[in-house]
Amino acid sequence: MLELYHWEPNTFSLKTLIALKEKGLAFESRYLDPTDFSGEARLPALNLEAENNPETEGPILVHEGQAITESFFILEYLDDAFPDAPLRPGDPEGDWKVRVWARFLGERTAPGVATLGCKAYLVPALRERRLNDASVLDRFKNPERRVAWEQALTDSYSKADLAESRRKVALTVEKIEEALAQSDWLAAERYTMADIAAFAFVNCLPKLAPEVCNEDAAPRTMAWLERIRARPAVREALAMSRTGRPDEAFAPGPEHARWG
Amino acid sequence: MLTLYHWEPNANSGKPILTLEEKGVEFESRYIDLLNFDQHSPDYLKINPNGTIPAMVHDGRMLYESTAMMEYVDEAFDGPPLRPTDPVERWRMRWWMKFLDQFYSPSASMIGWNAFIGPSVRDRDPEELKRKIDAIPLPERRVVWTKAIYGTFSEAELAESARRVRYGAKLMEEQLTRHAWLAGETFSLADINAMNLVYFMPANPLGAVSAEKTPRTMEWLYKMAERPATRRAWARGKTMTTERLKHLVRPSQQSA
Repeated sequence: MLELYHWEPNTFSLKTLIALKEKGLAFESRYLDPTDFSGEARLPALNLEAENNPETEGPILVHEGQAITESFFILEYLDDAFPDAPLRPGDPEGDWKVRVWARFLGERTAPGVATLGCKAYLVPALRERRLNDASVLDRFKNPERRVAWEQALTDSYSKADLAESRRKVALTVEKIEEALAQSDWLAAERYTMADIAAFAFVNCLPKLAPEVCNEDAAPRTMAWLERIRARPAVREALAMSRTGRPDEAFAPGPEHARWG
Repeated sequence: MLTLYHWEPNANSGKPILTLEEKGVEFESRYIDLLNFDQHSPDYLKINPNGTIPAMVHDGRMLYESTAMMEYVDEAFDGPPLRPTDPVERWRMRWWMKFLDQFYSPSASMIGWNAFIGPSVRDRDPEELKRKIDAIPLPERRVVWTKAIYGTFSEAELAESARRVRYGAKLMEEQLTRHAWLAGETFSLADINAMNLVYFMPANPLGAVSAEKTPRTMEWLYKMAERPATRRAWARGKTMTTERLKHLVRPSQQSA
């Protein structure tokens, strides 16, 4: 049996929901709102890797009792465990390209988008719920997660953090625009998990970063977004939203690279 | 035709070297001296415009990003498989490689650059150093090199890196207490990746990896160092790298 612990269809959760739908895999949906601190989190049994999850509030796949974390590695896992309807190109060069995209998206795009998203939506939501309270932080044992949540609870994103995040978001759109000049899809002549991984972060950008993600500045990216949104699997994944505003669902993501 | 542009068998350069040696794939080796900034020279930028090493050219195709390159090698060439067939072990292999690449290694590297590499480069002619830094193509790499060369890490940054190195060493010890290898019961690219960081940890001043603190990790290091591929890979080093491997011998086998 497959279970997916996930939140709204945005960023990390969206990536895994689309992949499961594209592969036609049945799964139990376990909806988990990481910004809801009213009760105990209902998490599955976690192993060493899952307990040290750098994606912090990202999705967790449970397959026959084994917890699998890190949204992109969940996609690779699904392709390894269920080879039908492959989402990787399947040749060494194409697979390499997919993994280079994944590294860039995970290391540069993810912290950039998450920081801007938290500043725009999570900070006001927490304030409205009067959750800017130190007791909330006691829930986080992992020091990196504490730091990330403290920033959101106290709205202490510096100008430099925000500028760096905008730079990473602009760089992402620029790279996608450049790749789409060569092909309709990012890593191969067909739609692959590189497109899914990138779409999961870029789908929210026309609203979150309209200054870089718009028809004039990034026409190919906008058309690519439409091509992906038209896919039945993607429509089904987006329809799993409970709030009706999935592109406003943000929790602190992975940290910005400290060095190197 | 396969050419690898690399520095020492260490960190990112060592990952494809050891992978190719384990796989038994012959390649043409081009040594790029990182401390002489050869990776930013016009000749090298013609091969890899990003100015990063390692880079691999296979049948006219240029590949970069050392961890993605390792999986490429395993996929593209015949030889012993270096990725487990079990999907869970394969996922664990990738999890560990990311943990090494983005958490454990950069922290150890900050401490290493601050203590050894920065000071050794710093006494060169300041004008020459400035020219070398200006020639770095990626802005992010320029920031990294500037910090490394002038040693402008704050006390807080260094303390956080030390915490992370100790945490990384502890987590790896826990994993190797449960399993023979990082991904589980199968030797994999995760061990190759980790070797390129952990081989020098016993010499690191933090003392996070030692016979007393991390016996399982030391045992794993001895096993890694005994592998013929590791010996061939480290024999390619031109600096202290090669020397450090010689210390990775079980105490019972050390000659007087």
